[in-house]
Amino acid sequence: MLFPCIRSDSPLSIMAKRQVGNLRRITLMLRIECVLGSRVEPELSEQLHRLEHRGAVDIVTIPVVDLARRRLLITTSGGEELAIALPRHQKLFDGAVLLLEKERAIVVRAATERWLRLEPRSLSDAIELGYQAGNLHWRVRFEGGVLLVALEGRPEDYLARLEGLIESGRVGAGVIEQAVDHEAAPFAEHGHPHSRPPGHGH
Amino acid sequence: MRVQTAFNLQAGRSGPGAARVGIGGPVGSGKTALIEALIPVLQQRGIDFAVVTNDLVTKEDAERLRRSGLIDPARVTAVEAGACPHTVIREDPTLNIAAGDDLEARFPGIELILFESGGDNLASTFSLDLVDWWIFVIDVAGGDDIPRKKGPGLLRCDLLVVNKVDLAPYVGVNIDRMLEEARAVRSGRAVIPTNVRGGFGIEEVADAISASVLFRV
Ligand SMILES: Nc1nc2c(ncn2[C@@H]2O[C@H](COP(=O)(O)OP(=O)(O)O)[C@@H](O)[C@H]2O)c(=O)[nH]1
Ligand SMILES: [Mg+2]
Repeated sequence: MLFPCIRSDSPLSIMAKRQVGNLRRITLMLRIECVLGSRVEPELSEQLHRLEHRGAVDIVTIPVVDLARRRLLITTSGGEELAIALPRHQKLFDGAVLLLEKERAIVVRAATERWLRLEPRSLSDAIELGYQAGNLHWRVRFEGGVLLVALEGRPEDYLARLEGLIESGRVGAGVIEQAVDHEAAPFAEHGHPHSRPPGHGH
Repeated sequence: MRVQTAFNLQAGRSGPGAARVGIGGPVGSGKTALIEALIPVLQQRGIDFAVVTNDLVTKEDAERLRRSGLIDPARVTAVEAGACPHTVIREDPTLNIAAGDDLEARFPGIELILFESGGDNLASTFSLDLVDWWIFVIDVAGGDDIPRKKGPGLLRCDLLVVNKVDLAPYVGVNIDRMLEEARAVRSGRAVIPTNVRGGFGIEEVADAISASVLFRV
């Protein structure tokens, strides 16, 4: 029982009625109930590579905040609607293979992340900024003298929480975009993707 | 597909298990009342579900639901949160996860588990390790400036419920403006007004749960 589900050639599909305006339309959703592995696993990468040449690898781009979800409705770039429901011991990750058939595959791509770049001017400003960011439970990364805060909403809402620090110029602020490291997606072993320390990258 | 089904039956726990939905919000906003109102609606829709409540040091909410006669008491589990209710839904949700696993083991085929957080402040959020999707309940009587305070709970939840709309005239709240502001700070994400005691808005909340995590519309 190495894999929690079989790499089936005929995926489970479910019919669902969706409300669109006043019309009830019948849509075919593709139900995904497990992650098959990582696209960099030798076993999978070979098959994916072959499908890629035929343009048969569909990508589903998932915002980084939603990667932590086990249930998600989302549409692939190819227009396929996915109803993802993973077992609790599995997680989505950049490069997760959700479907692998003879004729096609679906792979997860993490959307680029936006970070608020906060640069304190002095040691005491840095201590205060660190205290506040911790108190607010923000997801952060450290880069030398700079604090990066993962944006899961509008930057102005974050800045507003830092009251005096920004207006007084004690902390400089900007927004940067950063692609998730695509070359080193985590390996999945028995369905457990290894989590990687935040901040790892180029 | 036949292979997959057979495999799932054999392995038992290999399926995705029940969808887990969090219900958070300040003390007294109507979280337990919302669950009480949802119970008959979910039952009528044929959804197989159970409830986990979190209280500080008592099991009062669980007892209230068990005694309600609305639901099989065995389907209500209490987790005592200790001093800080947000800890058991965010930093260390182990106790709640175990309570959910236990319900799944006792009720095979269960589709949905609702987790009521012990009332907390506007900053409380759920860990996505515990729940797949979560609701934050505020009430009109708490004041129409709550959306403007932009607490993380209110900003990040998947569904914001604004309860006790029946009380708006008595507490001088302009409900339309309050809803408009709530939608604005949430960048248009779902906000549903309810009067849980009067049964208003419950179907909409049930619809949102079904569509988002049970994939039924
Ligand atoms: N008027 C009115 N009262 C409500 C409504 N919903 C809940 N309540 C009352 O508010 C109080 C707190 O509700 P409860 O569900 O215990 O809140 P919780 O602490 O969030 O679980 C109770 O007395 C409820 O009867 C509502 O929609 N309208
Ligand atoms: Mg309660």
